[in-house]
Amino acid sequence: MKVAYYPGCASHGIAKDVDIATQLVAKDLDLELMEVDDWNCCGGGFMDDKSEEIHTALNLRNLEKVKTMGFEKMSTPCSVCLNSHRIASDKYEKDPELRENVDNRLKNAGMEYDGSVDSEHFIWTLIRDVGIDKIKKHVKKPLKGIKMGTYYGCQLLRPYEVMGFESPYNPKSVMDLVAATGAEPVAFPLKSSCCGFPLVGINPPVGLKMANNILSDAKNNGAEMLVHPCSLCHLQLDVTQLKIQNQFKQDWTLPVLYVTQLLGLSFGYTPEELGLGKIAKDYLRERGFT
Amino acid sequence: MEEKEITVNVKKYNEKDGVFWKSYRVKADRYTQMTEVLRRIKTEQDPALSYRASCHMAVCGSCSMKINGIPSLACKTMAFKVMDEKGEINLESMDYYTEVRDLIPDVDTFYDRMYKVMPRLYADEEVIEDKEEQRMLPEEQKEVWKFQGCIYCGLCVSACPSVKEDEKFLGPAAHAKGYRYIADDRDTKREERIDMLMDSAWRCTSCYMCYEVCPQDVQPVIAIKKTRSHLDDYRGPETDVITMARKHDNAILELINDTGKIKESSLYLKTFGFGEAIKDSINMLKSGKIKYAFTKDSDVKNIDEVKKIMGDKK
Repeated sequence: MKVAYYPGCASHGIAKDVDIATQLVAKDLDLELMEVDDWNCCGGGFMDDKSEEIHTALNLRNLEKVKTMGFEKMSTPCSVCLNSHRIASDKYEKDPELRENVDNRLKNAGMEYDGSVDSEHFIWTLIRDVGIDKIKKHVKKPLKGIKMGTYYGCQLLRPYEVMGFESPYNPKSVMDLVAATGAEPVAFPLKSSCCGFPLVGINPPVGLKMANNILSDAKNNGAEMLVHPCSLCHLQLDVTQLKIQNQFKQDWTLPVLYVTQLLGLSFGYTPEELGLGKIAKDYLRERGFT
Repeated sequence: MEEKEITVNVKKYNEKDGVFWKSYRVKADRYTQMTEVLRRIKTEQDPALSYRASCHMAVCGSCSMKINGIPSLACKTMAFKVMDEKGEINLESMDYYTEVRDLIPDVDTFYDRMYKVMPRLYADEEVIEDKEEQRMLPEEQKEVWKFQGCIYCGLCVSACPSVKEDEKFLGPAAHAKGYRYIADDRDTKREERIDMLMDSAWRCTSCYMCYEVCPQDVQPVIAIKKTRSHLDDYRGPETDVITMARKHDNAILELINDTGKIKESSLYLKTFGFGEAIKDSINMLKSGKIKYAFTKDSDVKNIDEVKKIMGDKK
């Protein structure tokens, strides 16, 4: 099955390992990822603070490219990109005044869009189009015995009226995927609280405190590792983790995996092939997963 | 009407006994609101059970609590809709506020936040003296309509992660109220309001929790975003957060306008400067992540399309 794929800036940058793992897992599951032609940054969580009109038009430029490629929907590994595109589509559909202004901006750029393309998270593609049963059949190295904190964050779930895939209060998708790999899902109270990434460039002390809250809450509830669904959570919880641990003088680390990295491990790929960082690699080696 | 006996577990609190759970069995049918369930418990079983409720129609904002962990209005929640397969429902006081007794939190801090943003219209003197008429155009009303619907229930503040960690953040409800008057042309304190709200607006994480829990669909996070959109012409007091917001925003705008994409490494360097980048690079080196800091993605080929969409925003 061919899938229009929107990687987003982070997974083609510092969160490159999110893209690496997603590509590998997709290939195994017979998903042919077709990168959206000449895609641009969605400006998620930022551009709508500047101008709703520009934000919407930038996102629709991507969706127009998806349509030209012959697809009805696109899939992204990043919750912020997902949220951004869905909110843009929703506003375009519901606000006729905005729609007119956005159409003018697109026209000015030589484009026309009919509002027909849907955007979804790669997790939704995995669960809806591939199915948990098929995923289970690809598990060669079950991660038996590992207690995996299941984190959802904010943008994948809220607002529910726009995201619509699962309950914003009792989500299950990440839990189901973790269970499919043989690991033991561990729910924790802050599973859908914000990781603090949006504050890192503006109010870093509070942004880091929020990340520390997530990691500590998962650990205190028995998680040995943490799995999450977002390229920007990845920057915050994985890439920045040593900074957080220094800041809050923690004497522990919590290995963090993007959801397709976890699937990749269970499909038999090595931590190196999946681009894992040192914290996760060391921990997995310690537990006998190499 | 089919009635069922349901179990309601209430997290109770009083100064003498501290926190404890108590369960009640109550009859309900599919039209029974949670405030009615509580009334039945109080009148028929436990006169000491304490909770707030008044209008029973989601207007007064009194009966806010956590129902099965979800910040909700009890009157807007039907017992049959939220009971689990065993017919059980858990009730707790809202997060964040200090407890007074059982399901009653002390919401003074919520009201303090609201008073800080001057939650009323300050009309022109001429209007007050009845020399002028005050008019509002339909398009102006459309802009304030959503944000004026706050019923002071306090749920958004109780659920907000920024409120918990940042005492300088005014919280979602106060921002919705504040923006409601910024957008109202009849108000005479617009500048003062923007000065008061700008720093706080940048302390929100945009996690949409307030949007989700609001029983009146006020969407406070959208009011915060709209307040932020005044940053370019903001001339009020400059704070660390505002300075960072400017730097960060300008860096992103420049990157999108020049390349069509955000290059995280360049963005980081432009926002934090070289010194901080070096410090963080050491951490990334230790965690084996530094190699990705130099990943270089291609720019948007038809960058003219992006520039034309951006128009005057550069």
